[in-house]
Amino acid sequence: MKLLYKELALAAHPTSIVFAVLGCLVIVPAYPYTVIFMFGCLAPYITFQYARETNDQWYTAILPVTKRESVRGKYMLIISIQLFQLLIAVPSVFLRKILEVENNPVGMDATLAWFGFGLMIYGVFDLVFFPAYYKNGYKAGKAFVIAAIPMLLLMVAAEGSVRIPQLTWLDSYAPADLMQQVPILLIGILCYGGFVTLAYIISVKRFEHVDL
Amino acid sequence: MSNLLQVEHLNKHYPGFTLKDISFSVKPGHIMGLIGKNGAGKSTTLKCILNMVRPESGTVTILGKDFYRYEKECKQDIGVVFGGIDFYPLKKLSAITSVTRQFYKDWDQERYKDYLRQFSLDESKQFRSLSNGMKVKYLLALALSHHASLYLLDEPTSGLDPVSRDEILHIFTRIVKNGKRSVLFSTHITSDLDRCADDITYIQNGTVLKSADKDTFLHSFEHLRTAEDRGPLSLEKIMLRTEGGDPDETAL
Repeated sequence: MKLLYKELALAAHPTSIVFAVLGCLVIVPAYPYTVIFMFGCLAPYITFQYARETNDQWYTAILPVTKRESVRGKYMLIISIQLFQLLIAVPSVFLRKILEVENNPVGMDATLAWFGFGLMIYGVFDLVFFPAYYKNGYKAGKAFVIAAIPMLLLMVAAEGSVRIPQLTWLDSYAPADLMQQVPILLIGILCYGGFVTLAYIISVKRFEHVDL
Repeated sequence: MSNLLQVEHLNKHYPGFTLKDISFSVKPGHIMGLIGKNGAGKSTTLKCILNMVRPESGTVTILGKDFYRYEKECKQDIGVVFGGIDFYPLKKLSAITSVTRQFYKDWDQERYKDYLRQFSLDESKQFRSLSNGMKVKYLLALALSHHASLYLLDEPTSGLDPVSRDEILHIFTRIVKNGKRSVLFSTHITSDLDRCADDITYIQNGTVLKSADKDTFLHSFEHLRTAEDRGPLSLEKIMLRTEGGDPDETAL
């Protein structure tokens, strides 16, 4: 936990912490909620840019931690931001129901499928972004551009899917439709867990060969 | 007591620069100066020792342990200061310290507070608001507060005024006074070494030209003496003559 504490106290850019609470945007009556995932993907980009400006890697290197742990600290921070964002969206969805806010007229609602798609988007983004960044340990912009391509394609696919008449159940809170969405959520969880683990293994391997 | 630091046959190749077969050792109670002109490989050597730069071959042994194998444990016993690098410039010193202390088993808060008082450091200040000398002193305070046995310092005195340099060199002599701790510091300010170093390692173009105790080191460059020289050669003269001679007085 001290690695996460270090990341939160010294390395995390304040904006990335703000992004973590943007899951509550699902309470806004009309908003393309899939855009929320973009903030969760911007968080690692901003964090790594900020880390570069503050010589975070150098500082971490003189502490009694290995390069592997240095990578682990960053993963703990980004996973915390992304998962907190999704978690905070859960009570926001209930609050939306309590306030009897109508269904989102401009895009997909925050259904179980939306959460599943979010986890898939984060998983794919992290799988591309982290290994690309840890190839050299400083080109955060390039890593973001490369990872933003699949992120945007998946966002468009998620938002576009509910426009297809056969898939409107993805955008529904009806109990039967929610049951139908459960596998998408499970696939999202599996994707996120699997892709982040794979990204971590590749990142460590790459960063151990990077000269600071 | 065995050497606190043993560096053997470090090799690292970059396009345009190669660190070749770097070997030297630091004895307990000794201050070793790592000298060489800019770009000679002093910082790269220190970074290789700390595994910040991954050497292609060679070993680093700290307090009898293989550093690359037991990096985490070894780092508990060393204090590191990099001069000239701003860490977390917008953070207050108290924030940096509260994180740093979490990582050391033997963190000594009393000792840390003593150093803050001694160096007149205000913990409520941001790192960026400190002068260069104060930044080094703060990093030294951190490095000195977890009972390390070996101190690795990269250009700690560069850019400092003579008073601050004198203070820092005085701290080095106090560190090694009990004969159990050692300091290895890189510098291109040779007068610092004239005053406090016990041993000198001279790096030229990525290789160790000479590594020995100061007297042996000075004697080994006797061949550079000229008829005009009275008394032993200073480290500065040794460096100047080794690297290409005294500056041309007739130039310009």
